[in-house]
Amino acid sequence: MMDAISISKARLRFGQTIALDDVSLAIPQGTCFGIVGESGSGKTTLMRAILGLQKLDQGDVCILGMPLSHSRAALKKRARVLQPIFQDPAASLSPRSRIRTLMGEVATVLNEPLAVTYERLGVILNRLGLPKGILDKYPHEISGGQARRVAIARALLMKPSILIADEPTAGLDVSVQGDLLNLLQDIRQLENMTLVVISHNLAVVRLIAENAVVMRAGKAVESGDVASMFQSPRDAYTRELLSAWPRLRVE
Amino acid sequence: MAISVRNLSVDYNLSHVTAHALRDISLEIGKGEILGLVGESGSGKSTVAFALMGLLANNAKVTSGTATIGGRSYDLTRRDATAPLRGRGMAMIFQDPMLSLNPVFTVGTQLCEVLRRRLPGGDRKAHVAMAEEALAKVKLSDPKRRMGQYPHELSGGMRQRVVIAMALLSEPVLLIADEPTTALDVTVEAQIMREIVSLRDRIGCAVLLITHSLGLVTEYCDRISVLYAGERLEHGTVKQVQQQPGHPYTRMLFDCEVAIDRQRAVNVTENRFTVIPGELPDPFRRPSGCIFNGRCDVSFDACATTVPDEFAVGDAADHGARCLLLAGS
Repeated sequence: MMDAISISKARLRFGQTIALDDVSLAIPQGTCFGIVGESGSGKTTLMRAILGLQKLDQGDVCILGMPLSHSRAALKKRARVLQPIFQDPAASLSPRSRIRTLMGEVATVLNEPLAVTYERLGVILNRLGLPKGILDKYPHEISGGQARRVAIARALLMKPSILIADEPTAGLDVSVQGDLLNLLQDIRQLENMTLVVISHNLAVVRLIAENAVVMRAGKAVESGDVASMFQSPRDAYTRELLSAWPRLRVE
Repeated sequence: MAISVRNLSVDYNLSHVTAHALRDISLEIGKGEILGLVGESGSGKSTVAFALMGLLANNAKVTSGTATIGGRSYDLTRRDATAPLRGRGMAMIFQDPMLSLNPVFTVGTQLCEVLRRRLPGGDRKAHVAMAEEALAKVKLSDPKRRMGQYPHELSGGMRQRVVIAMALLSEPVLLIADEPTTALDVTVEAQIMREIVSLRDRIGCAVLLITHSLGLVTEYCDRISVLYAGERLEHGTVKQVQQQPGHPYTRMLFDCEVAIDRQRAVNVTENRFTVIPGELPDPFRRPSGCIFNGRCDVSFDACATTVPDEFAVGDAADHGARCLLLAGS
């Protein structure tokens, strides 16, 4: 089967800093893939490269077998396949528009009648557990958990086949976090979507992803299927990450 | 008890309504103990810290509460009640170290300022030497060079170490750490927690650790208090609470934690996360009865009408929870 995303030998420098150092990975279609690592390890840069927001010095990115192009037309076309959920959802919602207006923009991009978009939106809001009344609110009037779900709703409205979520649970309470992750898993199965989750939460990635890559200082230090990687980590850094995780002590 | 807080209540006055952020919170921390204060966002964890430090916003009002710190009593309803303790008896570590460090002064200047306040009339050279020693104690590399650096030149973990060094120099009776590691990576988190523990060991202060991570509490704390929507639902030693949670909310909170060693099931539908259904109650109108009633999985009729008192859990005198289910036992 064709890979949803494949990256080969990606290299990128920001001045003295090496942001990506010979990163290669393949994300099969219809699976959930985890990217873990500490801050500054290049997780978000990798996401930006996949989205075409960051040009690489060397290396290639292919989305569904097609090489990534940086032209405006290609970017527009790609938006129908690939949708991001950024780290700070409130920052990705314009503070000056009601949420209804933000959702309406999707109709313009997809070139479909507004009524059709809103009809699909109703179904999505229902599934995300968001009340209809939220459409009349401004982004600052809703809570952090709701803002994240609004960002997900807007991404889903684009009918993507690949969804990339950058730290989808950062700053959320455990219970809200669980709710959101269950939701993402349900949607992925229902729509047969490819889900890429960037997270520093190893416990979460272990549970939801089939495959994962561990990044450090721009390098992919270890990758493979999650079960064996967490059971017997080969790389010293992966072991360090795992042992540093605060665990509930049961005596 | 080195530190005790009694019946702390805080209101926030908004334009037309009043939000009750804290209702009758009491805490006790022994000398050299670390108390973990846990709860979801909006539960009032940080408000406790701010009320103690006297850092509440202008629209907040402490309606009741006394604190005993280092053998003296302070009436928290008075403005700036604990002002004499700031920098001498109490120190605080914030979530974002960049906000507690002044960007236009060097690390050295800021550390020496703490000493000037604690030891007025001291010798500057002695202060500089003590500051360098403190940086070495929190394992910051090359303390001499760090003294001349500005906060923006340091990484997040290094900045948090500087703030801990400041706390070390002020030799507080009470150290409040408000989500000290939330902005940091896991490996750095473990290092910073170890520094806080070693600071406690060195000066024997009481530590109030405010966090939403139960993992941190079980790993580093002696006692735990669980806050929900401005009320304390349970308190006890970490071991007691973990083995026998007295309140359903505490049990559900522990169930939500994702263990790092939890295996992934082959059948994808089995990889579910536990959640607490429902939402926090309206802060403007407290529902009658138990505050957790709407989300509780074992509630019964009386829960909707009776506000539960605190009952002892098991035989331990220092383990209590506010749940009607404990009333009969």
